[in-house]
Amino acid sequence: MDKDLLKTRAAPETEKRQFEDEALESLWELFEKEGPSAENVSLEELKNSSLGNISALEGMHRDGLIEISPGGRVKFTEAGRLRARDITRRHRLAERLFADILALNEYEEDACRFEHAISPEVEEAICTFLGHPPTCPHNRPIPRGKCCKLYTKKVTPLVASLADSQVGEDYKVVFLRTPMIDRLASIGLVAGSMIRLVQKRPSYVIKVDETTIAVEEEVAKGVFVKKHES
Amino acid sequence: MQVEDREKMAFNGLLKAKAGEGAKGSGEGAKGSGEGQQPLKRIALVGNPNVGKSVIFGLLTGKYATVSNYPGTTVEVTQSNMTLGGKRYLVVDTPGVNNLLPMSEDEQVTRDILLAQRPDITVQVGDAKNLRRTLSITIQLAEMGLPAVLDLNMEDEAMDSGIRIEKEALSRALGIQVVGTVAPQRKGLKELSAAIARGGSVPALHVDYGKAEEYIGKVASFLPPANISARSIALMVLSGDKSLAPWLKANLDDAGLENIEALRYECSVRLGTPASLYINEMRLKKAGEIAAAVFSKVPQRENALIAFLSKATIHPVWGFPFLLVVLAGLYEFVGVLGAGVFVNFLERVIFGEYLNPMFAKVFELIHIPFLAELFVGRYGIITMALTYSIAIVLPITTTFFIAFSILEDSGYLPRLAIMTNKFFNMMGLSGKAVLPMVLGLGCGTMAVMTTRILEGKRDRLIAIFLLSLAIPCSAQLGVILGMLGSLSMTAMAIWLICVLGVLLLAGWLAARVLPGKRSEFFLEIPPIRKPSLQNVALKTLNRAVWYLKEAVPLFILGTLVLFTLDKLNMLTLIEKAASPVVVGFLGLPPKATEAFIIGFLRRDYGAAGLFAMSRQGLLTHVQSLVSIVTITLFLPCLASFFIIIKEKGMRVALAMLAIITPFALAFGGFLNWALRYFNVPV
Repeated sequence: MDKDLLKTRAAPETEKRQFEDEALESLWELFEKEGPSAENVSLEELKNSSLGNISALEGMHRDGLIEISPGGRVKFTEAGRLRARDITRRHRLAERLFADILALNEYEEDACRFEHAISPEVEEAICTFLGHPPTCPHNRPIPRGKCCKLYTKKVTPLVASLADSQVGEDYKVVFLRTPMIDRLASIGLVAGSMIRLVQKRPSYVIKVDETTIAVEEEVAKGVFVKKHES
Repeated sequence: MQVEDREKMAFNGLLKAKAGEGAKGSGEGAKGSGEGQQPLKRIALVGNPNVGKSVIFGLLTGKYATVSNYPGTTVEVTQSNMTLGGKRYLVVDTPGVNNLLPMSEDEQVTRDILLAQRPDITVQVGDAKNLRRTLSITIQLAEMGLPAVLDLNMEDEAMDSGIRIEKEALSRALGIQVVGTVAPQRKGLKELSAAIARGGSVPALHVDYGKAEEYIGKVASFLPPANISARSIALMVLSGDKSLAPWLKANLDDAGLENIEALRYECSVRLGTPASLYINEMRLKKAGEIAAAVFSKVPQRENALIAFLSKATIHPVWGFPFLLVVLAGLYEFVGVLGAGVFVNFLERVIFGEYLNPMFAKVFELIHIPFLAELFVGRYGIITMALTYSIAIVLPITTTFFIAFSILEDSGYLPRLAIMTNKFFNMMGLSGKAVLPMVLGLGCGTMAVMTTRILEGKRDRLIAIFLLSLAIPCSAQLGVILGMLGSLSMTAMAIWLICVLGVLLLAGWLAARVLPGKRSEFFLEIPPIRKPSLQNVALKTLNRAVWYLKEAVPLFILGTLVLFTLDKLNMLTLIEKAASPVVVGFLGLPPKATEAFIIGFLRRDYGAAGLFAMSRQGLLTHVQSLVSIVTITLFLPCLASFFIIIKEKGMRVALAMLAIITPFALAFGGFLNWALRYFNVPV
């Protein structure tokens, strides 16, 4: 995916692993594009895709990540599928984090680097923090992780912006990311404050202690809260 | 007062201290005026917005300051004397603040008074329901070293929400006197007066800012000497208070400024968050700790009607029909009762049948034709100026002020901002601008001053422009509603569409032409309250008196102008000269020119002129509609023009004039053409 980046890597094993990860991710994307039934594609098709690099395929084959049938069709082995799934998930979670929380516009390159750098624990923490988002900012599905499956019945984010919260509920403010931060602080709304979301439309109405304020959606998006269990 | 002036004021206040003179402030009756008189002690009333400072001010001094149920009623400083136990005091009412770090112009007024005038006693008025926010200001007063007394107001509301505060324990914790009041019922007023007479003391509060302490000390060591504690100025500097810049620049060399910049940067890096936020959080934490120790709450059931209104007025669906009901009520009360019944009675009966004929007889007896014409002639002071101002406009403004006061005191107006934020966004404003705009329906001059509550100069400029262009004041609105009443519903709809359309279009254009971004919507919503009959009456009376003082002289002046022009035979000349525009373009009778001439003095006077013409059957329906749309968009009146000069400078005021006048006429001409071309039945 990012070949310049790979060239700069020092340790050869790490470099190889990352190279493979990128290839697995590309293959995952390709299968995704072909639709759910297409778990295999022909070598010919691969040559015309971004995976035209045959040496990557050979490597993956050697490592038992993909199978190549006598007819020249390529498909994941179980181990390959799991690794491709994980790396894609990490990449897309990183995109969500960068786009939604950090409000970056240019994040693709960093997401590529980030996906290799995080441990499964961090990945789960990010996923939980983001409220187990189902898709990346480009609307491609984020493969579910273990942490998401615990909540298949009801996806309750640990931390979500007020814009994604329920009207009439009490919340505890976790952090704020808005230019309004000083204004909000001056009426007593800071990290740790208990608030109630009174309504969302036509404007957001929030109650802090005995103070009621009205703000617009842009501001509400920057107020991150946690459900308060009474 | 312009921002620059105020910056100078703060800056002078600090400078004077440096020169060892002691701050005197700019108000009359500065302390130490000498001549054997006892020095006047200064009292400043400060506190969060909408906690009742103005009510307390009224009770202490006997002088009425406008009281309403929304934050930002007081945008200017009001001051008055009071005598207490033989001592004389000068009491200053200030705009509400949430933080002594100013974020809008009204907040800066208050901060500067504390900085520059250094009141002898600061009476902090707080909302008993919101102890944590109240105490966060007490902490700042302590840091500034200001002797204070704390008044927890609205104890009745706190009680209704099941809140109890142990005032004695709080007083011990703060090291200052704490009293509780219910201002509208005068409850606790004696105790407050007694506390003031005993004098204030500097709150014994110290917030440990932890990791920031080191930087507070370092910044303080670089600061020039001032008359409030270096620690409090260091905290303001670290919080990034821009209004201190001129003072710092004037008193420090480049190296000193660089040092302070570097310390600010280092501090925020060390804290990991902006220092302003960190400082605020530490203050709130301390305030929360003190509050928790003296505060208890037993949840109570809300009053059913108030709970219903709180919801219905801002409901995503029902809020809009609710607004329509309010508007219909306003129309019935002002347009039908005020402009119809009351005006009929005053104009036709009192003036038409009694006063005017009576005065005509009197002047007939005096037998000086010139005087007779001057007072009871066609452009007579009694027959025109007083008839228009007292018989036509006064009943309309009075009914409007009554209805408006009820709306203000109920807490409905800020809720309107919730409903209309998106609409105002299109005009490059936030929903907060609904407050000055709706106030503009009362009086343009008051509204221009109220734009101070808006954050950002750009928002203020757009709001002032729209106020001058398309918001009719109560007098004008009433007259217009009266005229529309005799036309059809279609006419009413066309007028409304024209005015709203122009408002939207002008705002949309202004938002695109002016550089910068609108400020984000943020508004504190007060609780729904039952308006007090006494305050509504008092406020209406004050406003009516103010109207008489302000408008009647101008009405007389305008009449004299017309009278003189008429005597010099110039009126016909002007009418002829204006005829291509008035007659040709707008399609109005030549006499309508008079309405536009006096409209320069006051728009409502011009409107009253048109009203009189339409009642005499001198205007067709199309002419009535064209003329009222034109006069609605016409120039701001003289008084609001002066206020615009005061707030924004001559250049801006003239630029607005140069845009608005041709636009109003052009739009009127266009409407005239469109109505006739499409043969619209009005």
